[in-house]
Amino acid sequence: MRINWKSFVLSLAVLLILFPFIYLVFLSLASEWRFPEVWPSYLGFKNWVTVFGSETGLLESFFSSLLISLSVAVFSTASGFLISKAVFYHPKKRILTLLAYFPYILAPVVFAACLSFFFLKMGLFGNMTGVVVAQFIIAFPYALLFFSSFWNEKVKSYEDLVATLGGNKWQTYTKVLLPLAKGLILICFFQTFLISWFEYGLTSIIGIGKVQTLTIKVFLFIKEANYYYGALSCCLLIFPPVVLLYFNKRYVFKKLV
Amino acid sequence: MFLEVQHIVKSFGEEKVVKDLNFSLESKQTLSILGKSGCGKTTMLKTIGGLVASDSGKILLNGEDITETKPEKRNIVYLYQEDLLFPHLNAFENIAFGLRLKKIPEGLIKEEVNHMLQSLELEGQADKMPTELSGGQRQRVSFGRAISTNPSLLLLDEPFGSLDTGTRQRMQELFKKLTAEYKITSLFVTHDLKEAVLMGDQIGFMHDGILKVYEDKKDFIQDPETGVQNEIDFWGGLI
Repeated sequence: MRINWKSFVLSLAVLLILFPFIYLVFLSLASEWRFPEVWPSYLGFKNWVTVFGSETGLLESFFSSLLISLSVAVFSTASGFLISKAVFYHPKKRILTLLAYFPYILAPVVFAACLSFFFLKMGLFGNMTGVVVAQFIIAFPYALLFFSSFWNEKVKSYEDLVATLGGNKWQTYTKVLLPLAKGLILICFFQTFLISWFEYGLTSIIGIGKVQTLTIKVFLFIKEANYYYGALSCCLLIFPPVVLLYFNKRYVFKKLV
Repeated sequence: MFLEVQHIVKSFGEEKVVKDLNFSLESKQTLSILGKSGCGKTTMLKTIGGLVASDSGKILLNGEDITETKPEKRNIVYLYQEDLLFPHLNAFENIAFGLRLKKIPEGLIKEEVNHMLQSLELEGQADKMPTELSGGQRQRVSFGRAISTNPSLLLLDEPFGSLDTGTRQRMQELFKKLTAEYKITSLFVTHDLKEAVLMGDQIGFMHDGILKVYEDKKDFIQDPETGVQNEIDFWGGLI
């Protein structure tokens, strides 16, 4: 019998990729699983019920994370798109683009430590607004650099054409620029959402433990050696990006190709 | 005069691209402007269209000073060499674009666009996306989009430059037909000698930022600067 190596290797690769995710779900359903037991003594939705009962505040962290990430993604994508246009037309666009790399020179924790004084002075320490602002400082340059490739002479010609056809700035954006950049905007939104969603260093310093995003919570559970809750919060952590990835694949990439 | 351009000067840094531009044009006439690449033709058109601000001088359109008027308020459409069709809109919507900006009633838009499609010989192509159209068809849609807004002045910057010889010839004929049908006043920039003679009621020659408009076509042909004589000598020498 001939073995189809290609499909075998492919199946193995898919299994290896999926295994950590499947294992996480399994672990989130388990409790009291001690060595050398092969199977956990309990397997069910006890952990999930506890979470939805808000005993550990995981659900609250989930919604906090969602609110923070959505805010960061919306603000950074919108401002990144608009300001990247201003940068493109600026005579010193090279220097401005170079400056956008600045937040990435430092590690997020070091960067947060540098910013902490200003955040403290502005009353942004230990609250959600502060975390959104801090994450925005990281996500915005990314969006700015991401959209810099969109602006070019052809887009400028489109803008000029709309103007000579009688269109104002608002019409230029709504009828031409936004439809042209729709795919990129959705991708940027997705990427900045992910930057914010998985951000740990900056959030832990600026949030000083008062703002507990899901990522912070996962680390807390892992530190406490509560693997079951850790796995459960990981599931929650993965769920929104998977939904976004699905929509991106279904509605964005298909149109870009 | 319908269009009067008086002493327009435009520099980019130290370089003076347009030097003391002076000319006028009657309504429903086409002025062909011939010139080599980099002689300031595009800057001149963009200045008239309001896309580039002039350093000094005045532009009058139908007696009104439009020098400081924003491009969207001038009712002057600038057509590029590239068709610049909006990739997210089909041929119908591309032509209707300017009309929608002006918030014209839907019924009237349909009527206007369908008539335009007929004039452009594009019946049956209305639902096609730009990628499904040929080069000539795309350029026709681009024309339709510009003309449908009923502009006071049409600025054409080498509009047939990217087309093959056959398509170019058909487009020239179509342009002549449309300018007569829609009573269009236009400035037609080209670097093709034959096209300049064919398309214009009047001809201008631009060299190093200075535009010279000829009284009639004979003066243009006889002027050694334009290169027409060289062309005649070349073809005559072959016979």
